[in-house]
Amino acid sequence: MIRKKSVESKLLVQNEKKRSKGVSQWNIAWRRFKKNRAALAGALIVGFVIFLAAFDVLIAPFHPNATPGFYIGETRSPPSLKYLFGTDYIGKDVFSQVVYGARSALFVGFASAAIAMSLAILVGLISGYYGGIIDNVLMRITEIFLVIPFLLILLVFLKVITAISPSGGGLSMVVLMIGLFSWAADARIIRGEVLRVKESEFIEASKSLGASKRRIVFRHIFPNVLHIIIVLTTLMIASAILVEAAISFLGFGDAAAITWGQQLQKANEAVKEAWWEGVFPGLFITLLVLGFSLLGNGLRDALDPRLRE
Amino acid sequence: MIRYAVRRILYLIPLFFGVLIIVFVASRLAGDPVRLMTVQNPRITPEARENLTKYYGLDQPLYMQFILFVSQLLQGNLGNAYAIRGGTAVTTLIGDYAWLTFELQLAALFLSLLIAIPIGIISAKRQYSKLDVSVTTTSLLGTCIPVFYMGIIAIIIFSYFLGWFPYGGAHSILPERYPFGSYVLDELWHMALPTAVLTFATLAPIVLLVRSSMLEVLRQDYILAARASGLSERSVIYKHALRNTLIPIVTYVGLYFGAMLAGAPVTETVFNWPGVGRLFVEATTKLDFPVIMGITVFITIMTLISNLITDITYGYIDPRIRLE
Amino acid sequence: MTTKEILKIENLKTYFNTWAGIVKAVDGINLDVKEGETLGLVGESGSGKSVTALSILGIVPRPGKIIDGRILFKGENLLEKTESELQKVRGKEIGYIFQDPATSLNPVLSVANQLTEVIIRHQNVTKREALEKAIELFKLVEIPDPELKIWNFPHQLSGGMKQRMAVARALSCQPSLLLADEPTTNLDVTIQAQILQLMKTLKEKLSMAMILITHDMGVVAEVADRITVIYAGRVCETADTRTIFYKPRHPYTVALLTAVPSLALRKEELAVIPGAIPNLIDPPSGCRFHPRCKYAKAACAKEIPPLKEIEPGHFVACIRASELDIKSPLGA
Repeated sequence: MIRKKSVESKLLVQNEKKRSKGVSQWNIAWRRFKKNRAALAGALIVGFVIFLAAFDVLIAPFHPNATPGFYIGETRSPPSLKYLFGTDYIGKDVFSQVVYGARSALFVGFASAAIAMSLAILVGLISGYYGGIIDNVLMRITEIFLVIPFLLILLVFLKVITAISPSGGGLSMVVLMIGLFSWAADARIIRGEVLRVKESEFIEASKSLGASKRRIVFRHIFPNVLHIIIVLTTLMIASAILVEAAISFLGFGDAAAITWGQQLQKANEAVKEAWWEGVFPGLFITLLVLGFSLLGNGLRDALDPRLRE
Repeated sequence: MIRYAVRRILYLIPLFFGVLIIVFVASRLAGDPVRLMTVQNPRITPEARENLTKYYGLDQPLYMQFILFVSQLLQGNLGNAYAIRGGTAVTTLIGDYAWLTFELQLAALFLSLLIAIPIGIISAKRQYSKLDVSVTTTSLLGTCIPVFYMGIIAIIIFSYFLGWFPYGGAHSILPERYPFGSYVLDELWHMALPTAVLTFATLAPIVLLVRSSMLEVLRQDYILAARASGLSERSVIYKHALRNTLIPIVTYVGLYFGAMLAGAPVTETVFNWPGVGRLFVEATTKLDFPVIMGITVFITIMTLISNLITDITYGYIDPRIRLE
Repeated sequence: MTTKEILKIENLKTYFNTWAGIVKAVDGINLDVKEGETLGLVGESGSGKSVTALSILGIVPRPGKIIDGRILFKGENLLEKTESELQKVRGKEIGYIFQDPATSLNPVLSVANQLTEVIIRHQNVTKREALEKAIELFKLVEIPDPELKIWNFPHQLSGGMKQRMAVARALSCQPSLLLADEPTTNLDVTIQAQILQLMKTLKEKLSMAMILITHDMGVVAEVADRITVIYAGRVCETADTRTIFYKPRHPYTVALLTAVPSLALRKEELAVIPGAIPNLIDPPSGCRFHPRCKYAKAACAKEIPPLKEIEPGHFVACIRASELDIKSPLGA
């Protein structure tokens, strides 16, 4: 008897703590995060790229589409002081392209993740909370999307888009496609978390507080699911950047856009003569993806409610 | 157990058709393949175009086309390509190239597991040691580097600068260049670089997963209880911990295999490896519907089969699932 | 007539090197267990009871480490033994029962497997013989249909049966000492009584010594011959059961007794011990209980109170023990 009472009161105290400012979950998480050097490195990298994107006009010595090397015979020239990363086949400065590419990379990452996560959260929350037929139907649909060969379907759809409208809809279309097909796995994970929280909190809440149980359940579900959403979003950004790079590399992306993937596509033919055309953009892709991965892992470690103090 | 397997199989069929419908509709929306095919032919007349359209059945309403497609599919007929290799049967095309794709993928998967599992276990046992830190860092990097980038770098270093391996393709063009005159060795020589790259890309996330799974398992009470019973360390790790550790790995590998196949186009393009992945890219670019659909069907079936095998293996390893 | 000691712990110190600091979970524990007797080890959660038990077997999980002390089992210091020597002691001479039967059994192995492996490990028998012994053990712990149940997986057994299985495993090689870490805390009340009764019966049958770890005074009252009360990693008081309940001399012991409703017959309210368990990274100086003790004086914060024998067999670690006039809530 005493034991059960203390469990309930412990639960209420815990929840009160969540709302009081001194020892809030977020404070604890922030402190843990700060101690994690890898996570800080990740944040630094992401910050660096954001900086590049914000000030690209100031940082890049040339306009990315300009061909400063063309008329003076400096096409396909290796890295030098003038062209930090060398020039490509028609004399464009690789470094400038890389700098401007930062903006596209971030756009692709954030926008795709936004679309994919919105869908994942919607499906995951509804499915987990309501259960029953709704859950069943939504999960079947999720499974179809999980079975579809991801890259293949993207290629087909993108071909469709470029065929229908010759301008191709640009990078936004790529982003939309990636978002539309990446939500399934995360939807399942979110649903799992919702179910877990529902089960643990519901029983306690229903016993001790009776009437307002539904409200309590809702107020408890969302904060706990928020942890996993933050982590999944960060990792989704990393994955979206990789996918766009692959799509552009295969030639199905937006040829007019300046993305690192596009640079790699053009560089593929020149691999033997001008290694710098491909090596540097690829390096930056790796760097940014690494940044978001470290950030995501760091957030996961910091926010994990199961880790003891 | 059998009933469980049968239930899973029946369950996958509507899934399969769902995928087919989506890809079918998408590819049809892309445009007119007849136009693409004939765009370079100056003497083509509108009637000729119409005839071609009728011939390929492209004038029928969409649902009719789909029904036709499905009925042919059930007979094992995937139609003929529009333009690739002069209109060969799709099944022949796939048959010719599928093995090459599998060669790479299966070799990479097998090698990955062979390397990743032991390394993950050792890394977990010696958490925070220098070995652990370097393994974790390398694996993390491995998950962040785009596969095609790895391929490009590998080619630059090992083909261009060092000249140890060929630039791409599955075989040397001139038989004189076969190492020791052997066709098989020549293929292995060409396989080396793509397999190495694919293996590294595949094992990186698996190492991290094995390690974290093992760490999680080692924290459990039943491991402490096994130690308290005086069991040897070997027994604790390899009997008690390993089985539990492998449960999420099985799930991961099963799902991953489908993703791996779907990622084939990228690896095969970098290395100019003549598999179905590269074929798919070609077909999509040329709007060769039968080939597009055919390869999609093929890969989807492979994915579903691997899902099935995963489910069954999972049921075998974890008795809690089996007895439901 | 003095019975021999089977276990004697001297000044045990086990610290945990965590990223938040060094947690001094066990900081100088002294206790002993005589052959065949049951010692109740009582204290709040976090007092170091489990860590003490794990230290005896040498299986304290990382980042814990035994820093100091001696653990004499049958005269030999366990802390000086090698890992392979200790493996011969664990499960064979000393058995261990964990608190939560749901997590202390491996979910993917059958119960038979987990029982026979211990038997085979320590005894020179064939698999068939081990299986027969396992079934006998199941009968001993009163599990019905042992021949069938033995092939079950843990999740197929009820909580009570899981714990019986755990008892069977701990006793499989007839140890002379059993360490039971809160064996009934996670069970339903009715099952608790059954398991306790089972343990009492088996203890007599096999003439084992036992350390029963618990925070429940009601349980020790039933089962223990002697009781050691610990707080924040140190021993407060040790005496036989009657003395602890009727003539306690340490303020913490009294506070524990007062907080138990079934014992505080004359009180109407549950007395709560004010304050909270101290931070073990930076514990209070001197007597660790002094911040919460209503009898505390300035001297209590200065020196660590030594464990003194104030009457034969009755040890107290309080510098004010002789001057205080403490009454047990049960009257004296």
